[in-house]
This record gives sequence, structure tokens and C-alpha cells, in this order.
Amino acid sequence: MLFHTWAFLAFFAMVYPVHLVLRRTRFMNGWLLLASYVFYGAWNPLYLPLIAWTTVSSWLVVRLMENSLRRKAWVAAGVAANLAVLGFYKYGGFAVENLNALLAAAGVAARLPAPDVVLPVGISFFVFQALSYVVDAYRGDVAVERSLVRFAAFVALFPQLVAGPIERASRLLPQLQSPPRVTGAHVAEGLSLFLVGFFKKVALADALALYVDRVYAAPDRFQAPALALATAAFAWQIYFDFSGYTDMARGVARAMGFQLLLNFDNPYAAAGLGDFWNRWHVSLSSWFKDYVYIPLGGNRRGTARTYVNMALTMLLSGLWHGAAWTFVVWGAIHAAGRAATRDLERTSFYRERVPRLAKQLAVFAFVCFAWIFFRAQTLGDAWAVVSGIAAGGWGDPRFPLPVAALVGAVWAYQLLYAGESRLKRVLEWAPVRVGLAAFMIAYLLVVAQPGAKPFYYFQF
Amino acid sequence: MDRTDATAATPARDSFPKEALRLSNAMRLTGRQLTGLALFAAAIILGVPPVWERLEPLDTGTDYRLPYALSHDYWLYARLAAAAADRYDTLLLGDSVVWGPYVRRGQTLSHYLNAQAGSERFANLGVDGMHPVALAGLVEHYAGGIAGRRVVLHCNPLWMSSPRLDLQGDGEFRFNHPALVPQFVPRIPGYRETASRRIGCVVERNVPFLQWAGHLQQAYFEQRSIPEWILEHPFANPLAAVTLALPPSDDRLHRRPVPWTEQGILPQDFAWVDVETSFQWAFFRRAMEMLRARGNRVFVLVGPFNEHLLTARGREGYARVRDGIASWLAAEGVEHAVPPALPSGLYADASHPLAEGYAELARRLGGLPFFQ
Repeated sequence: MLFHTWAFLAFFAMVYPVHLVLRRTRFMNGWLLLASYVFYGAWNPLYLPLIAWTTVSSWLVVRLMENSLRRKAWVAAGVAANLAVLGFYKYGGFAVENLNALLAAAGVAARLPAPDVVLPVGISFFVFQALSYVVDAYRGDVAVERSLVRFAAFVALFPQLVAGPIERASRLLPQLQSPPRVTGAHVAEGLSLFLVGFFKKVALADALALYVDRVYAAPDRFQAPALALATAAFAWQIYFDFSGYTDMARGVARAMGFQLLLNFDNPYAAAGLGDFWNRWHVSLSSWFKDYVYIPLGGNRRGTARTYVNMALTMLLSGLWHGAAWTFVVWGAIHAAGRAATRDLERTSFYRERVPRLAKQLAVFAFVCFAWIFFRAQTLGDAWAVVSGIAAGGWGDPRFPLPVAALVGAVWAYQLLYAGESRLKRVLEWAPVRVGLAAFMIAYLLVVAQPGAKPFYYFQF
Repeated sequence: MDRTDATAATPARDSFPKEALRLSNAMRLTGRQLTGLALFAAAIILGVPPVWERLEPLDTGTDYRLPYALSHDYWLYARLAAAAADRYDTLLLGDSVVWGPYVRRGQTLSHYLNAQAGSERFANLGVDGMHPVALAGLVEHYAGGIAGRRVVLHCNPLWMSSPRLDLQGDGEFRFNHPALVPQFVPRIPGYRETASRRIGCVVERNVPFLQWAGHLQQAYFEQRSIPEWILEHPFANPLAAVTLALPPSDDRLHRRPVPWTEQGILPQDFAWVDVETSFQWAFFRRAMEMLRARGNRVFVLVGPFNEHLLTARGREGYARVRDGIASWLAAEGVEHAVPPALPSGLYADASHPLAEGYAELARRLGGLPFFQ
């Protein structure tokens, strides 16, 4: 069930009033769980046992760990139970495919059969959420949750179930332990967020996708300008798509009295790669930092080890996105970029002498380069895009000017809003905000009516 | 924490930025502002369609028929139906047999009926591909403007010539005008669509603004969504495309007007369905009953189907269907005609007459009291 569809509107129109009534009773979490399972089951009810397994195994392991002398064994079991699910459903095919390629290269005729499974939507998100609870409980950072229903509602809470933000038990579970407060201001804030997210997804991301899909479907047929523009367009498409989803998720949750993380903070206004990762998919980058980078030693074991840890974290982050070498390369590019610029970004020259706009444009260009590998279907396609851009040459890219104008306006808005410009005050002026919202509503009503194009990150 | 170096910072148990709970933009609106915006949206939704009708003239003229490309523009159809009801006393409803893909607009059944009557009495409200299940939806939701008028409802038996055309076939298949068919109840076996799309169809039928938005795309943006049109016309101003000038009445031949006998079509059996269980026939009756409930005087014209194209077995099946329909109409006291098949050379295919065929049919109908 997608947020920008009539089905979700109908679903929410039924769920929300009941939630408002039940939120002060002990039935709230049961209702949220039921609603969340219906929400998830709308895709494929056969995968409900999967999320139930992740939930029950994580909850049970922590309960067993609580008074056990073998805490390490239990946490290992909990981590294994979750990673096994992720490994089989998400990486099984990839592993077999590569193993078969290795066997073939070694001259072995035998072939392993690939698992015939469809990737369950949102698996990477809810597994990571459950996993963080197991590890936090082991570390003593979160109280043990005694109610299975409440814990299940935490893992499956429908606004953030399929594409995050990846919430931590320490933040979200307490919100499910007491009746959420729902005021008019909360509802207004939720609606504001939902409107912005809806506009990002339907009016911007889906419009950009039309151009990107055309070019990336056959990169050999396009020349440098179209390839470069399609890559920049993809950078905006994935931002509008994913942050639009997050805005809608946060909006829905806010109207229900819950507060989800800010997952995107104007990432293309970042003035450095470190800054970019503080602004892009914040809940995932902080997850990797807390559960991979820091356990590896973080920056406490010398410079060389710090770089190794950063690289490993980035590679795993790439692999998290998808079981394909393109994602691994995407992670490797970011690892290399981070390694190359980490010390540079700390210098007073970079901080004080390089104009902020130049830094922002450089970061955007680098991020776009990495997105080529993220978007391309194969490494061959990615190479075709890179070499096509490098070859230069002119061919009319036929990029739609109205879309370019719209994206340019949004970028300018973000740069102004994220910076210290005086115009920021103008943007915060109520008539301007209301005027922009009115424009978005009119645009959505007339130009960009919702379709059912799924969110890009659902595939992860 | 150094904001530019978060991934290499000192270990921390929870590394979310402190400002993580705030909004990332300036779009936070108050309840009062949202109320104002809701009123603004309501004004657009309620106000635009009626204003647009005044801005965009619909000139039906003589022998007007809906432009073929706008066969899915139901908002325009509703306007056309209302305009036709004002101008003509009898309206012909049905599929492409009424519309006339093998003929020009001056060669349709309505044209020859007018010529015979010596005045403009009959309007062509046929729509390409409008099978009876969709026709019932069209009548229910978009033909309110013809209430109380005389209606010739054409029944094309072709839609009952196979379980698939009768929408009873197993497995997924595409059919015309899915937005007009029942979305949930009764269930159409071959209709596979997401719940969201089905709900969207139901909402669109009841919200004229959404129909109008569809009209905009159909009439001015080459039957594409506006973003898709922009992609094909990257440097064009989309506002300039909205000329407020509707395409003129369709006067083109949409299929080659050649007799079926010259097209190499072989005689067919057809797997005729049983009238008693036919989905299409049930919905045809529903359309007719809706019209009668609205005070329309309804005349049902059955066929005439091209029996020459049928094998002996196919003719037997067709006779069962035709007789079943005629019996029901007679039993219900519905004015109707089941004309015998036209001469073979006057058909372009199984159900569509050529120009001469329409002229001949009009002559046959002209003697009936309803047409006088």
C-alpha cells in the first residue's frame, strides 16, 4: 500500500479514528499492530510470517538474554536469526549467482540452484530495526520490552514499516508505552509534512523518473548532455522520492501522535561528504555508525584503521541497498571520496576560504557520479554512462524545461533555506509558505495526479 | 560533534543529530492556514469545471460525433450528451456501430435518420468500444443530461459472441473503458486492477473536478498525462497547449471502408454465450432500466448482426441470443426492433455496416412508429 494512493487514503480513514479512540486504552498497540499487518499484507500476505518471525525471535532472544549468564550467545543468536532472514531473501540469489560464476571460472560444470524468492518489500528496514533492539538490549541501552504486542507494533508500525526511517527502540518504544498526545498542532504539522512529501513524490520524483528511465534504459543511444542531465535528474528523483516518502511517513505518524526521525536534511545543500552523510538517510547512516563503524573501532585505533573502518562501513552500506555489484561500487566510491576529503574538510582553508556554493556544487557533482552506479542496472550500463559523459560531444538532451525550472526552484529554495541568506526570512514569512503550499495543491490537483508508481527505496 | 565529520566522530551510543526532530524545510503550516488552503482546494475543485464549461465552447454542429481520440473523455461526453439533449429529440446511444468507424460523420445511422426525417432530430452519442457493461456505467454517471429524452439504445450482439467479450473469460485480459465498469461488485472475472485504481475510478465518477482534469489531458495533451506530454515536448509551454478550442467533430474514416468479403475474413462459429447468464446482456438491461427510470422513452435496436459472416453453427448460436433478447424485450414491453441482416456487401465486419448499410438500416427503421 503506497501513501500516495486512494487505497491508503481509504485505509487511513478507517484506521485513524479508531486509533484516536483506542490510544488511551490498552488496545492501542494491538490496533496498531493489526493495522500495520494489514498495511504490509496488502503487498503480499505470504510475507507476514517473515515479519512475525523477525519480531518474535528478536523479542524472545532479549527476554532469554535478560537473566542469562550467556548473554553473548543470546545476542549472537538474535543477530543470526535476523541476518539469516535478510541473507536468504535478499542476498541468497546474489551469492549463488557469484558462486556459480566462480565455479564456471574454475572450470567446474556444477551449478547451484538460485533461490526462487521475491524480495519482501521493506525487509532491510524492519530487520535492521529489530536488530538494533537486540544489540541495544545486550548493551543495556534500552529497557527490555515485556509486551510482545507492543514490541511487534514497534517493529511493524505502518508509517515507517517499508522504507523507514529506521527507528531505534530507545526512541519509538517509549512512545508506544504511553498514550500518544494528539493535538490540533500535531495534526497540522502532520498534514504539512504529508503535503510536502506528496508533492515531492508525485509532482517531482515521478516526473523526473520519466526522463531518467528513458535514458538509463538504453544509455548507448544517448550522448553526454543527456547522460549527464539524466544522472543529475536521478539525483533529484531519488531525493524527492525517498525524502517524500519519509515526509509522508512522518506526517502520518505525527498526526497519530508519534514522532519519527528526520531522515533527510537538505542533503544537496551539504558542503562536504561528511556533511552529506549527516543529511542523507540519517537513520541508516547513524545505524551503520552505531552498529558497524563504532564496533569496528571507529576512529580510536589510529588513522589507517579509521580509514579501513570507514571503507568497510560504506561498502556494507552499499550492499545494504541491494544485492548487486553496482551498489558495492557505489559504496566504494563514497568510501574513496570520504577518505580523500576527510582531512581536507577539516582544514581552515576548506572551511573558510572555499566559497560555500562551490563546496555544495562539488559535493553534488561527486554524489551524482556515484549515483550512476546506483541507478544503472549493470556495471556495463554504468560504464556506458560514465564513458558517454567522458566522451563529450553534443546531442540535444531534450530535457523538459518546465521540469528543469521546477527542480531549479526547489534547489534554490533549499540552498537559501539551508544557508544564512536574508531571503530565508522571506521564505519563512507566512504568506510565502501559504502561497507555496497553495501552488503545490493546485499543481497536484491539475497537473500531477497520483499514479501508483512505487517508491524507489521499496526495492531495498 | 563536528558536523562535517560525523562518521569519524567519537563513539556514541545514539548518534542521531540533535536537530533530528525538526522539519527540514519551511512548510510547517498552522491549522488556520491549512483550513484556508482546504477552502482554496475546495474552491478549485468545485469552481473550475463549471467555469471551464463557459470558457470552452462545445459546438456540436450538424452530424456531430465525439472525436475518436476523445473516446475516454467522459467529462466531455457528459457535456455532449447534455448539449445534444437540448438540440435533438432523439439520441442514439451505443458503441462504434452507432459512432461509425468505417464511415464519415455524414454517413452514420443518425445522419441517414435525419435525412429521412427531413430535420435534425437524431444525435450520434455512440462511443467507440462502449460494450454494455461500460455503457451502463456511462449512462449512470455521465448521461444524466439526457433524462426525459427519446433514446435509441443500440444492442450489439457481438459483445455476447464469446465468454471473453462477455467479460466472463478466465485469466487477465484487457478490455475497453475499464473505468466505467463496476469496480468491486459484481466482480468481473477477467478484470485485474489494484484496489487503489478501483477506488480511484469510483471517486472520479463522483468528482467532476477529476473528470475535468482527465478531460484536460485527453483534449489538449494528446491523451497523455501532462508530465508525459512535457517529456515529449520538452521546450513547449504546456499552458499554451490549452487553447480552449476543442477538436472539431470527427469526420475521418478510422478504418478502411471495404466490405468484409474483400478483406479475406472467413466464416466464423463464435462461442456465443447464453443470454440468461450473459454479463453484457445483464448490464445492457441495467442501462435500459436506468434510462427508463429517468423518464427516457427507450427504443432498443438489436443488430443487425452480419449473419453472412457466420457458419451454420454460428448462425444457430446467434439466433438463440437474438431470440432471447427479443423475447425479453417483448415480455418487458420495451419498444424494439430486430431487423434482419443487411445484404452481405453492406458490412465491413461482423457488426459494422458501411455507409450504404447505414442508409439501408435507416430506411428500414424509418417505417417504425418510434422514428416517425
